[in-house]
Amino acid sequence: MFAGILIVAGACTDDFEELNSNPNKPTTVDPQYLLPQAIQTSIDNYWGNKTRNERLNFDHAMSWAGYLTRNIYENEGDNYNVQPSVNITNWEVFYTDGLINFQKVIEFSDADSENPNPNFEGVGLGMQAWVCSIITDVWGAVPYNEALSGTAEEPIFSPAYEAQEAVYAGIIEQLKVANEKLNPDGPSIAGDIMFNGDIMMWKKFINSTRFKLLNRQAHIVGSSSAEMQAMLADPATYPMMESNDEIAKLVYGALPTNNPWNDILVQQGRTDWNINSILVEKLQSLNDPRLEVYATPGNLAEGEFSGHPSGLPAAVATNFLGFSATINQDVFAQLNSPAVLMSYAELKFVMAEAALEGDIAGDAQALFEEGITAAFDQYGLMVPDGYIAQLGAVSKENIMTQKWLALFGQGIEAWTELRRTGFPVMPAADPQAQFENDGVLPTRLQYPNTEYSLNGANVESALGLLGGADNMKTPLWWVE
Amino acid sequence: MRINFTTFTHYPRLFQAGISWGIMIFLLSSNVWAQDRVLSGKVSSADDQALLPGVNVVVKGTTTGTITDINGTYSLAVADDAEILVFSFIGLETKEVEIGNQSTIDVAMTANIEQLSEVVVTAFGLEREKKALGYSVQEVGGEQLAQVPNQSVVNNLSGRVAGLQVSGNSGAGGAPEFVIRGFSSVAGNNQPLVVVDGVPMQQTINSTNDERSDNQRYGGGLSEIDPNNIAEISVLKGPNAAALYGSRAANGVILVTTKNGRGAEGIGVDVNLSTTFERPLVKPNFQNTYAGGSGYRTWYADGWSGTVDGFKGTAGTDESWGAPMDGRQVRHWWSGTETAPLLPEPDNWEQWWETGSTLNGSVALSAGNENGSIRLSIGRTEQEGIAHNTDYYRNNFRLNSEYKFTDKLTVSAFGEYVKSGAENRNFLRSSYFIWHHRQANFDQLENYRAFEGVHIQPDGNDEPPNWQHTFFTNPYFWQQTMVSPNEKDRFLGNIRLNYEFNDWLSLMVRTGTDVWTDTRVNVTRYARTRFAFRAGRYNEEVLRRQESNSDFILTFDKGFGDFNVVAQVGGINRTNFYKRNYSQVNELTIDGVYNLGNNASPNTDESLIEESEVNSVFGSAQFGFKNYLFLDVTARNDWSSTLPSDNNSYFYPSVSLSAVITDMLDIQSSILSFAKIRGSWAQVGNDADPYLLQQVFEPEGLWDGSVPKFGESEQIANATLKPEITTGIELGADLRFLNGRLGLDVTYYDQSTRDQILAVDISRASGYESRVLNAGEITNRGIEVVLNGTIFQLPSGLSWDAAVNFARNRNEVVELADGLESLTLWSIRGASLEARVGEAYGNLYGNKFARTDDGQVIFENGLPTTLDGQHVIGNIQPDWIGGIQNTLNYKGLSVSALIDVRMGGDIYDMGTSIARVTGVLEETALGREEGVIGQGVKNIGTAENPEYVTNDVVAEARTFYGRYSGRQFHEAAVFDGSYVKLREASVSYQLPSKWFDNNFLQSARLSVIGRNLAILFRNNPHIDPEISSADLGYNYGQLPSTRSIGFNLNVKF
Repeated sequence: MFAGILIVAGACTDDFEELNSNPNKPTTVDPQYLLPQAIQTSIDNYWGNKTRNERLNFDHAMSWAGYLTRNIYENEGDNYNVQPSVNITNWEVFYTDGLINFQKVIEFSDADSENPNPNFEGVGLGMQAWVCSIITDVWGAVPYNEALSGTAEEPIFSPAYEAQEAVYAGIIEQLKVANEKLNPDGPSIAGDIMFNGDIMMWKKFINSTRFKLLNRQAHIVGSSSAEMQAMLADPATYPMMESNDEIAKLVYGALPTNNPWNDILVQQGRTDWNINSILVEKLQSLNDPRLEVYATPGNLAEGEFSGHPSGLPAAVATNFLGFSATINQDVFAQLNSPAVLMSYAELKFVMAEAALEGDIAGDAQALFEEGITAAFDQYGLMVPDGYIAQLGAVSKENIMTQKWLALFGQGIEAWTELRRTGFPVMPAADPQAQFENDGVLPTRLQYPNTEYSLNGANVESALGLLGGADNMKTPLWWVE
Repeated sequence: MRINFTTFTHYPRLFQAGISWGIMIFLLSSNVWAQDRVLSGKVSSADDQALLPGVNVVVKGTTTGTITDINGTYSLAVADDAEILVFSFIGLETKEVEIGNQSTIDVAMTANIEQLSEVVVTAFGLEREKKALGYSVQEVGGEQLAQVPNQSVVNNLSGRVAGLQVSGNSGAGGAPEFVIRGFSSVAGNNQPLVVVDGVPMQQTINSTNDERSDNQRYGGGLSEIDPNNIAEISVLKGPNAAALYGSRAANGVILVTTKNGRGAEGIGVDVNLSTTFERPLVKPNFQNTYAGGSGYRTWYADGWSGTVDGFKGTAGTDESWGAPMDGRQVRHWWSGTETAPLLPEPDNWEQWWETGSTLNGSVALSAGNENGSIRLSIGRTEQEGIAHNTDYYRNNFRLNSEYKFTDKLTVSAFGEYVKSGAENRNFLRSSYFIWHHRQANFDQLENYRAFEGVHIQPDGNDEPPNWQHTFFTNPYFWQQTMVSPNEKDRFLGNIRLNYEFNDWLSLMVRTGTDVWTDTRVNVTRYARTRFAFRAGRYNEEVLRRQESNSDFILTFDKGFGDFNVVAQVGGINRTNFYKRNYSQVNELTIDGVYNLGNNASPNTDESLIEESEVNSVFGSAQFGFKNYLFLDVTARNDWSSTLPSDNNSYFYPSVSLSAVITDMLDIQSSILSFAKIRGSWAQVGNDADPYLLQQVFEPEGLWDGSVPKFGESEQIANATLKPEITTGIELGADLRFLNGRLGLDVTYYDQSTRDQILAVDISRASGYESRVLNAGEITNRGIEVVLNGTIFQLPSGLSWDAAVNFARNRNEVVELADGLESLTLWSIRGASLEARVGEAYGNLYGNKFARTDDGQVIFENGLPTTLDGQHVIGNIQPDWIGGIQNTLNYKGLSVSALIDVRMGGDIYDMGTSIARVTGVLEETALGREEGVIGQGVKNIGTAENPEYVTNDVVAEARTFYGRYSGRQFHEAAVFDGSYVKLREASVSYQLPSKWFDNNFLQSARLSVIGRNLAILFRNNPHIDPEISSADLGYNYGQLPSTRSIGFNLNVKF
């Protein structure tokens, strides 16, 4: 009898498979739905991140590059103290929200997929390379080739790290492939929240990024200059940005996909940041009208712009709240304010540097001036008379300093270039400032401690690739 | 104390406490009745003719009675019409003697064998003789649970059952969490299965942190039934006890049996009323010397750190590092452009926490005859929380019925409808007293509207007046504006048919369900202008959950000479359904109107359906030999929809043996009156959650209101899952001494859960957060001891009963996934709670202070130094838990006290650590102006050759206490979680029945009750270390536990 019941009960399970099919979530989706998610999460994290103690750019890089400072909670980045959650979340978001979805865009559109579309594939490859460039510029040696293989046919759950040099080589190659895949006459793509399906814009962004990264490694990778020259020699194959209309940026939109700075400063109503005195004083010394673009004077300073330095203990820094200038919310904290991935001015400054260093042919002074003009034009300004003259002749310091003034908002890029070149020259720390990290400007972030518990052997071996300890003092590979 | 009766207005007046109390007093004022006969006699033992002192002698059906004296004699005045005299004594058979015309009644009492063979309720509601069980079952009677009524019966179990660990929850309507024998699942659900009258009752799942906090907030399950209806709770602790309940019994089973009308003659009425009042139990030790602010300055300017009228304000800092509160004249948030003296508010804690109250009333009607019975009960619970504007109510309606249609066919049915709801149950924690100004007066804050005219804030801002604006909104405004209610309907019931083919074969067929739906509204933002306008926001969520079980059991029960065989076969079908609908209005057009159509931008919508089904067959056989040796064998096979179709069937058996040594060896001793040993081995299989087999993509909303987004699930699915298996052995002994006056029950267990279905975290560089797999093994082993006895029973009628229980559990993470050494349970600011291979579950990891070999903290520049990296800094599991229950009886008076102990185990008390950083705690007032010298050593040698001398470097106080921040100096937040509490105490008086001359009123009992009356021992200086286990050892401003005192009245008609 027991056996009889067994048979009956066992036979009643025919519909179990159907019952256990997920009614809530699809098992496959078109790349057009993955692309906007991948772009948004990557750029949200790059530009700001809405959550406290997770904001790499807004709380850390923007302070370290001398743009912003704190009037409270100086230990959340401003005084070089980094909360462990910053290391963890940024790593997580870049890999798990951004890169993996670009990976799926690639897999669902490549030649082996059901619906091949080289333009989706090219965008996926290009954006993936761009995100990886941020990751390696923040941490150094990171998982690259073995990364993103959690659901591969031969899955890898503990990916190995690679030296920054190898990651750069991989990214530069990947950008080249991306450019080759992209064809403005090819199939259209939907879900493109960056360029609305304009493939030529993608090609220009991807090539400009590749050019930028080649320049960054030009002093240590000999082949870089030839590659840069090859790109310039063949603009039909390697189109790059040609005006401020071609800036690579994400224009944000309605809640909840609003600009992260809008979220922090307006939606959350936080007032913990002021404009750093380094930036204010530099702009003032040059009579640079961009001061009014970047900043709003403090309530009680009667139209006068003033800032205060980083690293002040809260008890001191809090005195500046109300006095020091704040971020100009009209420009940077509207719901739809853009996040800039790369500007036209930036490209011009990169070219100026490459020309100055002799990596490419070209008139460094002219490129430098074109960079300045583009940087002003980006905010609808004309370069004031005499502005360029007062700077003196083109030099590495001048190029990097003007690039720094142009990069306001792109804190990670500015911090990277500051670390690489040592420019702009930062004034001595304020005597009242109390910096952690032994007063050393952080050279990188520490690996998230989750990597030590979940990918221990590989992260340990990364220390050899890094050429130093996993701290914020070990210089990265491209430091000049 | 303040009682708010206004909430009664929207509910039936029947329960209004005032009226009901009035009725009681009227009923009790009936007159007294004369006695005219005196009976006397001697009581002796039938075995050895020894005279027996302390025997209860009572007139049947009354409370008229006495106890035999030291010589075994008694004398008792009885009523004329008294008919029967009852003699009773623990371990002896109760004897009834007809009085007739006798005036002297001598009796000889015999040892009670029946008394040692209590019947307990076990798997599938089967009543079994306890002595036949090969595993550990512990019961708690309804009378015990009712001693100190509580809105959640779970609280009454704390300290009463060996190995059952309860973590309280003082929120209105809050449900405590409970686990039996520690954590057995690495990351899954550890809650025992709850079965009410044969119907499995869904507990809120508690496997993820979100679910835990939901559980903590909304409670549910066992906490929702009316405690007044409970006849008994049996706790089946291991997998051994529960093989027949299937998968979910791996964590033990709590079987609740409710009262029925059986045995009632005519109509019985049972009325219970209780009222208690709650206040916070532990107040942190605050400093009352320095005010809010920073840099020894205190000045209110604009609620931020702006400057008004030339003076910069300090209220932007929500810490108390300001000026000494010496009466100096400063601006306050309430003084406008005037100044007022700066003085401490040592009682602002008491001002904020209100007196909570709990009112509970229930009425039960029961009736029965030889053919059937019925019991109807209605209960109402109302709570006002200790936080402003928080409350909870619950109405319980229950019907139990049973009718014998023929000699062979009995039908029974029960149903309980529970309607509950609350306002602001989201107030589970706050940082109000972690970050605050010591001069803040909360009575003034409550009266904030009075200051709207003078309160200064930045131009254009429209916030309600508050002590500051950068981080905090006025808490009273918040609680009154951000009202987040919920309304829940729950029905639990079944219908059961029992057919007896003959005296050895019967069939039971049953179907039952537990279904609930909860509508939750959460207001998360109000419209405000804080430099810029921001609209209000809210969400609403409708949940529906249902579990239905249909089963049949065929029972064979027959004796063959010295053998007795009970065999059962049966089958069960279980279905589970879950539906969630969620919508959030991101921006409200009209603030304060909470409607999904009132949206100024696209809403965010989410929904979810989960369905699963399990079919099972099982069989069990019990063989008894001479009623002293019992062998139980069970087997079960499940087919689950959540597992891969080629691997969805799993089988699990159990075997247990019980031997009554005293009967086997024919031991007849008044010292050792009963001895049983038992042993068992059992397995329980478990399936997965639904939908873990296929990789999916998650909807991620719309970009800019128009472009749909999807992202790949961060969890890697696994199409090759197999069932997980828990295996346990248990050995135990049940010994009774001195004619049963003293009982000792000892259990040892060792269980292991293998192939656990886990979502294991992996390196994020893989592109994913976790992957689902069968991994991991956790072993739990431990001992449980229950000791109970009658310490004395004096002729005068005074008796003292005591029960002690003790449980110690040790567990070890034996294995995780291949190559995985650690599983992170939570991670906050670099500190984490982990399960690491080779370690106990729940180790706290973080950085710790550098110490010399002899344990002294090493200071540098006057500040403690830390060792980087992750170190073990604690473990959240207690070393042991236990309880002591004492009851003193004297005639109708009963005094009882329950002491509840948790020893060892740490908590990560981020709240206390941060309250040191913010300078609000007592210790931080020391050395404020002079500086602090930390206790420890400093190195005056080199790094290679250290030479340590006593630290004598003065550190600035704020920097020094900054090193207590658990956000960065993790060890500083680890505190011992031990406590010894006076959990319950009551004094109750059973009114003498002689006061009632009518047949109407049968009994009345009035009690004064208290819960959490005192913490007799703790190591944490500032909080009650008993925190909700929902946060797995993490505490940040949890609602303080409460002390509750009140009254209870029980009347039976």
